[in-house]
Amino acid sequence: MSHLTDPKEGATYLVMGNEAIVRGALEAGVNVASGYPGTPSSEIIENLSKIAKERNIYVEWSANEKVALEVAAAASFAGLRALCAMKQNGVNVASDFLLHLVYSGTRGGIILVSCDDPGALSSVNEGESRYFARQLEMPLLEPGSFQEAKDMTKWAFDLSEELKQIVMVRSVTRMSHASGNITYGKLPAEQRKAAFKFKGFILDPNEGIITSAPVEWKHKDQQEKIKRAKEIFESSPFNTYEGPEKPELLIVTSSACYLYSKEAVDVLGVKDRVGILKLGTTWPLPPRLLAKHMASTDKILIVEEVIPFMEENVKVLAAEKASEIGVKKFYGKNEGLLPSVGEMNPDYVIAALSSILGINYVPVSPEYDQSAKLSAFVHAPARDQVFCPGCPHRASFFAIRRALELDGRDGFVCGDIGCYTMAVRPTGFETLKTVHSMGSGMGLASGFGKLGQFGMEQPVFAVCGDSTFYHAVIPALVNAVHNQSNATLVILDNGGTAMTGFQPHPGQDFNVMGDSVPAISMARICEAIGARVEIRNPFKLDDTLNTLIELMEEKNGVKVLILSQYCALSPQRRGKKDYELSVDETVCLGEECGCGRFCTRIFRCPGLIWNKEKGKAEIDQVICVGCGVCADICPKGAIKRKEVA
Amino acid sequence: MEETKITRGQQEIREKVISQGLCTGCGACINLCPYFRSYKGKTAILFPCTVENGRCFAFCPKIEVDLDRLSLAIFDEPYDGTQLGRYRSILTAKAGKNMKPVTAQAGGTVSALMYFALAKGYIKGAVLTDRKGLEPLPKYVTDPEDVLKCAQSKYTAAPTLSSLNTVVEKGEEQIGVVGTPCQVLALAQMRTQEKPYPIGLVVGLFCTWAIDFRLFEPFMTQRIEIRNVRKVDIPPPPAEIFQIFLTNGEKIEIPLSEIRPLVPQGCAYCIDMTSEFSDVSVGVLEGRPDLNTLIIRTERGQKLVDEAIKEGYLTVSEMPKENLEHLVWAAGNKKKRGLKRAKEEHLINVEPLSYLRLQGEILNQLTQ
Repeated sequence: MSHLTDPKEGATYLVMGNEAIVRGALEAGVNVASGYPGTPSSEIIENLSKIAKERNIYVEWSANEKVALEVAAAASFAGLRALCAMKQNGVNVASDFLLHLVYSGTRGGIILVSCDDPGALSSVNEGESRYFARQLEMPLLEPGSFQEAKDMTKWAFDLSEELKQIVMVRSVTRMSHASGNITYGKLPAEQRKAAFKFKGFILDPNEGIITSAPVEWKHKDQQEKIKRAKEIFESSPFNTYEGPEKPELLIVTSSACYLYSKEAVDVLGVKDRVGILKLGTTWPLPPRLLAKHMASTDKILIVEEVIPFMEENVKVLAAEKASEIGVKKFYGKNEGLLPSVGEMNPDYVIAALSSILGINYVPVSPEYDQSAKLSAFVHAPARDQVFCPGCPHRASFFAIRRALELDGRDGFVCGDIGCYTMAVRPTGFETLKTVHSMGSGMGLASGFGKLGQFGMEQPVFAVCGDSTFYHAVIPALVNAVHNQSNATLVILDNGGTAMTGFQPHPGQDFNVMGDSVPAISMARICEAIGARVEIRNPFKLDDTLNTLIELMEEKNGVKVLILSQYCALSPQRRGKKDYELSVDETVCLGEECGCGRFCTRIFRCPGLIWNKEKGKAEIDQVICVGCGVCADICPKGAIKRKEVA
Repeated sequence: MEETKITRGQQEIREKVISQGLCTGCGACINLCPYFRSYKGKTAILFPCTVENGRCFAFCPKIEVDLDRLSLAIFDEPYDGTQLGRYRSILTAKAGKNMKPVTAQAGGTVSALMYFALAKGYIKGAVLTDRKGLEPLPKYVTDPEDVLKCAQSKYTAAPTLSSLNTVVEKGEEQIGVVGTPCQVLALAQMRTQEKPYPIGLVVGLFCTWAIDFRLFEPFMTQRIEIRNVRKVDIPPPPAEIFQIFLTNGEKIEIPLSEIRPLVPQGCAYCIDMTSEFSDVSVGVLEGRPDLNTLIIRTERGQKLVDEAIKEGYLTVSEMPKENLEHLVWAAGNKKKRGLKRAKEEHLINVEPLSYLRLQGEILNQLTQ
């Protein structure tokens, strides 16, 4: 049994932020949970799926975030409690539905959990989901501790039900993926019954139809909910203050930045001079609470990550309340004291506080700093991001790169979101030339493939993963075929949503709860759309290369090549070696002409190592997964492959 | 000042040969390593290589070609810049009565010599150029009968020497090669390395220019069904036409003025029309579509020709004076044109890396 379903009230566990959110949802009696995998959010749905049967929860990985939110909203419309989880840019995908949902309102408690990734630790953006709360006028909560992550999640369901509005709970990487002790509350015993009521008066929020129209009426109603939220937030226990009654400086902060602020105040020993107002309800801001604290000081520092969202909101309030509280001096991102990109950390806050308070604080001596930097530069080996040993993407991009170079017309590949995004780096032979959002590779290729009439002669490729295909590539492929674009889509089918931890996708015959479900064939979808479809095993290098060339030479139309091979870390391949690899040192050319360390310098599978002393390649038997591809790339055939019985 | 290290590898080939437009796709750098490949007549660099002294560079006929060094190594004489290069004699020739009949170009001299050389063990194998549709494909043969399948001119630039690299790697020896002047020049580089290539015979072809297959393929696809091509020919001047013979007996003629734009840029820098570093060189004979011109350059070439005549594989006769004069004129023109252009673009006798090197005096004479 998972500790997450421990019924004991008051039990204390060390849990990850995302687990705390799960426990909070359980204590709120969540019935339906949906989402699309994306770091740092994935553990929420994963953990819920593990206890789905036990707690009679319906959990699914949806095809994309928009569908996920629709699935969750349906549960709310039927009176159930629902949670929908995604990473920051997933909210963009869901936002079209969300815009209409906030007008129509909801019934059973529903929360949208967005896990943002300041600093883009696992993303190709550090997008802000907080702005959606303001733009779409829905309440926003941000936990500032692990306990709050649980308590706030539970409360968010109650708030949603009270307001009949979806509530957004926003976490960040350092909240979702760090761990802390939390004390469990009570798990509800009762189950709700689902029923969608629509026979009442058309505008009845409980029994009428659910839609965003009439827009003005619904929009006004929505804004009334925000006003009520403000009132509720005025006395919320998630907004806390610590510090002197009349601080010299007031820090207004939220989320993980609360911890950085506390540390900074502690390190500088300025508890008596600086107060910290930690906000858990960050949109709409409670005006009276803010006014009270702002009135107590002349200087205000706002500490938050990435864009100055809270800073702007606090300043608007300060302007509105200026006649009561007086004119304040603000510090934060707008005048450049704190950075507007990347993660926040205690050092930044310490530096800001030192500057405002006139404290001369030197975190490390300049000599130490310099020598640390120098020794890191000299001694630390350069470590690039690399595909795992035996990764099929390496083989796929090896073939794609060779095909493009052979063709020689400066063909290029539009990339997409997955492990294969790393193919902008040498590990994928620097094959990708564009990377944006999910599905954008094929969309861009569709556009590039129409530029022939302007003299563009370069062959156009797009790549996507299997999960990405279902998420957002299908409309782009439809577009390309219908508009007679000329491009080739390579689907790197590694049998799961590999990058985020092998979550199942619609191409698989099982779901996240372990049920047998119908698999949706990518090849048949592509054929039905009207593309020529080929399927190859990327480990067969020459076969893949020849197919790529053949498709590239086909002058017109959209071609699809599905390169099908399990991820090296997948449950299907893990621990199973197809081949034992070894290097015949008498044959290995090493650095000589004819090779030039081809396997360790170009192919760069981490399972291949360069023995400097011997001037020969070797196999790292500990990490080699035995895919055998390197035996085919060695120009001298020095890498020997023996089938494992 | 620190001296810049001169490397002679892939990067130099990329910058000084391919980017300069000098590459004719001869195949000398292909199949030596995983980095160079030929595709549809073009040399492709698949991945960056950091080897500082590469065979790609050493073999390339478009970079650091020291004509004196090559001439001394092959003929024991320095490069003198004469129109036809060093030779012993010039004859007209055609296949003899003992040679099997074959659809060849002109007199079938090349096929006859290669057939004979293989059959009599002068060479153990031959690197030739076959054709698939209009695409020239390198081919290594050991059976004399297979020579017949590779007969006829291709006119398209072919990576023939890639096949030579492959068979040398496999340990083959006494290899005969039929090549165009750029390929014969690359062969001269290969034969004069520290570890010389085991070449048993070099039969050079006359060549004024070749056609870029990448341009030729779409050009021809618009006009004919490529798989129906039986033979292509450029009859000697003043015909000025390109002929295509189809399997159904039809003949299509295209003015050479339409073909010339399809010539690789690299051919414009070529100074050799008659494959000056061969054992024997063979071309057409003006006004006589049934005969070839045969230039015998080396002792090895002489011996082969003598034996072939003796055994009835080759028939020769004297070269008419006016034909010889015209050949000298045409070859001289090509040499001058190529040298002039290369000199104007600072590609000759320059440091640190030069396309060609030859004695300054001879260069001045030829480019006056």
